[in-house]
Order: sequence, then C-alpha cells, then structure tokens
Amino acid sequence: MTTESVIGALKKARSGVGNAGSGKPASERERRRRFTHSRAFVFFVLPSLILLVLLNLYPVIYAGLQSLRNGDLLSAGNFVGLNNYIAMVQTPAFWHAAGFTVVFTLVGVFGSWAIGLGLALLLRTRIPAGGVFKVLLLLPWVVPVVVSATSWNWLVATPQSPLPVLAQALGLGNVLFLADPTLAQVTVCVFKVWISFPFMMMMMSSALASVDVNVYEASKVDGATAFQTFGRITLPMISRSTYISWILMTIFCVNDFPSIFLLTGGGPVNSTQTLVVLAYSTVFQNFQTGPGVAIAFMMTIVLVIIATVLYRQIRKVNIE
Amino acid sequence: MSVETSRAAIVGQYKTTARPIKRRTLSQAQERGKWWRFVLILVICAIVLVPIIAVVLLSLEPSLGSTARGVTLENFGKIFSETSVGAWLANSLLVTIVTVVISVTVAAPAGYVLSRGRSRLVSGYSLILFIVQSLPVVTAVIPLFILFAQIGLVDNLAGVTIIYVGSTMSVAIWMMAAYFDSIPITLEEAAWMDGCSVFGSFTRIVLRNSLPGVLSTAIFAFLLAWNDYLVAVVFLRSDQNYTLQIGLQTFFQQNQTNWGLVMAVAVVMMLPPVLLFAALNKYFSVGGIGGSLAGR
Repeated sequence: MTTESVIGALKKARSGVGNAGSGKPASERERRRRFTHSRAFVFFVLPSLILLVLLNLYPVIYAGLQSLRNGDLLSAGNFVGLNNYIAMVQTPAFWHAAGFTVVFTLVGVFGSWAIGLGLALLLRTRIPAGGVFKVLLLLPWVVPVVVSATSWNWLVATPQSPLPVLAQALGLGNVLFLADPTLAQVTVCVFKVWISFPFMMMMMSSALASVDVNVYEASKVDGATAFQTFGRITLPMISRSTYISWILMTIFCVNDFPSIFLLTGGGPVNSTQTLVVLAYSTVFQNFQTGPGVAIAFMMTIVLVIIATVLYRQIRKVNIE
Repeated sequence: MSVETSRAAIVGQYKTTARPIKRRTLSQAQERGKWWRFVLILVICAIVLVPIIAVVLLSLEPSLGSTARGVTLENFGKIFSETSVGAWLANSLLVTIVTVVISVTVAAPAGYVLSRGRSRLVSGYSLILFIVQSLPVVTAVIPLFILFAQIGLVDNLAGVTIIYVGSTMSVAIWMMAAYFDSIPITLEEAAWMDGCSVFGSFTRIVLRNSLPGVLSTAIFAFLLAWNDYLVAVVFLRSDQNYTLQIGLQTFFQQNQTNWGLVMAVAVVMMLPPVLLFAALNKYFSVGGIGGSLAGR
C-alpha cells in the first residue's frame, strides 16, 4: 500500500468515526453504525478509566483533603484548614527544595536533550556497527536506577572510590563528590542527565527519521553550510518533537524520586533535596502526613496547570 | 505543520521503506568522516558505560574473605544459596509479568478508541491521560498506602502490581494509539460492511496487525515495573515480599559493604531488561508518544 493511500485512510479516520457533521446527512444505517461504535468504545475505554479513577483521581482528592488535616498514616486527624500549607511555606527547607527542583529539572531537561540530539545526529550517519552503539547507548536508561545508583555510589562516594582517587592523582586535591553540598548537587544533576539522555536520543532519532531528505539535498545545492543546515532546517523540522520531549522530560524530572534518594538521600545537609524527596521524607521518615501531603498536593496543582497549558500549546503547534 | 504531514511522520516511524533512499543520498558526503565518527562514538560509549562495566567486573571479582583468585562466578553462587535473592527475583518477575499482561490488555482497546474516535470526549480523555502522567507518584502513594492498609494490600505483591498497572496507563495508551494510527481504517471498514462487530474487527484485524505496537508497549511496562523503586520501598515491608530493588538495599546494612555480592545482585537485576531490550529494541519506539500526544 502506498503512503498516499495510508494518509488518505487516516484522513478519513480523522473525520469519520464518531463525528457528526461531516457534510452529508447521515443515513439510518450510518447512524446505527455510529451508535454501535460509541457503545463499543465505551467498553473499550472503561477498564482504563476505572484504573485511572481508582489509582489517580481518588488519591489526588484524598491527598487534597488530608492536607487540610493534622492526621498521620493511621488516623484522619482534625481539620486544621490551611495550617499545613502555611507551616510548610514558612520553612526554608521548602524553598530550598523548590529551588533545587527547578535547577535539577532545567539541567536534566536541557542537558539530556543536548546530548541526546547530538548522539541522534551522529548515529543517523553511517557508522560501522552503528546498530550496536545505538543499543549500548540506551543502557543507562534501561538499567534499573537502583543498579546505576549503586554503581555511581561505588564510583564516587568515599575518598577511596575510583573517581576521587583519580582526581587526587590528577592533583585536584580531595574531591568529595557526595559530601560537599554544591558538588553533590552537580553529581546528582549529572547522574540524571546520564540516565535520561537515551530517552531524548530515541525521541530525537525518530524525529530526525521523519525529516524529508530532499530538503537537505536542496539546501546543499543552494550552498548552505552544515551549521546553517542544522540551525535553519534540522532544528525547525524537529521543533514539535523537541517541544514534546522537553515537556515529558520536565514531568519526569520534577517527579523523579529514586535517582536523588538512592544517590544522596537528599543530603548532605539537605542540599540535594527536591520537593518529591522532601514530601517523601516528611511523610515516611518524620511521619508528618499533613505537611508532606500538602507539599505533594501543591506540586500536583502546579503540575496540572502547567500540563494543561502545555498540552494546549502542543496542539496549537501541531495545527499551524 | 499540517495534520497530514504529522500523520505521515507517525506513519513514517513504522515504515522502513523510506530508508534506503535516504541512505543513498546522504552516504556520499558521509563516507569520508566515517572512521572519525566511529572513534568518537566508541569513546563516548566507553565513558558512558563505565558505571555499567564496573558493575559487571566487580561481580566477577572474588568477594571479601574469599580464597578464589581471578575471575569467578562464586558471588552468584553465594547470593542464590545464602540469601533470599532467588525469592526476590521470583517476586520481581511475577510482579513485572502480571503488570505487562494487564497493562497491554487494558491499554490496547483504550488506545484504539484514542486512535479512531474523533469526538470531544476522546480529546477530553487524551487531556486526562496527560494530566495523570504529570502527577507526582508521591501524591498517589500516600493515600493509596492508607487505602491499601485497610484492605490488606500493603506488603502484598498484588498491591504493588495494581499501582504499576496504573502508572503505565498513560504512556501505554499513547503507544498503542500511535501504532493503531499507522493501520489504515479501510480494512476495518471493509469488515464492518461484511457485518463484523467493532470488537471483532479490533481483535481480528487491528490487533493481529499490531505486534510491534504491542511489543513496544509491553517493553515499556516491563521497564517501568521492573525498575520501580518508590512504590516497592513504600509498600513492601517484609523480607519474603521484597522485589530485587528493595532486596539489594539489605546488603548495605553491614559495616563493610561486600561489593562483590552487591554487584552480583545488581547484574541479576539488570540482566532481564537488558536482554529484553537487546532482543526487541527494534520494536521499541518512544517517538510515537510525541505524535500520539500532538495528533489529537
């Protein structure tokens, strides 16, 4: 089947099923078909809808209500209004965590994107054993984060670990990757980029694969430099995928718990604490359910607003 | 970008017919720098894979208090005979496989609706999926812990499985929808003309032609369930219910960590996803998510 006919079929699919007002008045038979469709569709969606309501909607509503109470994991407690929020917003730990969440996310998103795009561009060209490299480079994303965090710990945690020893040998002095607050922040961010770049590489590879090669031919004929080709053709052509990958990675980074928790536990002196880690430790280590849930719920509200706005944005980009 | 071209882009991801043309036109200019690029990517790979290579090498070294010399598989024998790693591995496999099966079964029909349906409700559902994906797992975990404690699902493998299925939903549905988009609706329409039901055409025509989409979704669900730490650490409390992810942490409780044993467990832990990916990576496409998100 040719691509044209596939597109034609898809166009039909887009305007056809479940859509009234496609121009011609629908026949009785057509209408009945639509009815059976919509009835079947309800059953198709129902299982996933039930799961989403039970595992996402219910907890969010519950969290919202629980954040207004002073209970713990076992009892509901009394209604305290917005006290949990007020108490939390007044602690410096909250603002520090919020700040580091932003830094962590920005580095995670753009760091992994830049590396992922670079590798995608490199792997697009013909390289001996290119397929093998493609799989090898996905490993940081495929390997469980527990394993990679363990390995990174072995590599950097103590002064006797390989990397600090190497740094010593190179005359950089005593480099404490996880004990120095600033350096621990850098290490955690690098770790996140290391985990995430393969995802970006995959996203960018498939975006690049869908760029029409004739455009490159034309630009070469017109005498464009490699740099011009990249900036004026490649980047704009993959802008939609780039945008979507940034959004997804933002969500992944803000919600990322294990890569920080397993590497530093939020330390030293809470320097690598993000909001998720703070919420977790408030609930499960300090047993303050109300304030912990309040943090999580604030994050939820902010993320839902951002998600809704960005979602509309994606669709707008798509339509133009 | 118009609707048609974005659709074509999605279709293009699964069509390999365009490739040979591209290779031929790009290759001439690229032939020159081929080996230079090979060396570059070799160096990048070597640097990037240091932590993973370290795990494998350490697992093969004789551990503390061992009399063996050189490369040995002794650590692996030890973890299976002297610790609960075998049981944890079984737990991890059970939870992951059940998650994969349920998640694909539930996501496939929903993805089909997302792919074929064009009503306001479908767009609304798509938005809900996006919002759900953006929720912090911590927010869901705390109330679910309280709920599950009441119905006996804390410290229970069924409890974590349910949560894993829930967390795979959005991406699984997008992936399935992206694949269904590449299957022309004309086939189903012909079946409907012949009196086939919507369900019949879905299972017999669409699903039967969707093996790559199903595999892609299954791999994603496998990775999510196998690699999870947060849900397991909150919900699994007793030794016999641990998954490997939590089990590994128990090795760090001694004063001196026995890295040989830790890394042997780590190898056991990373082997299933790595083998799965090595075997099936050509089916795995996250690029489809983008098209699926923006397409509707």
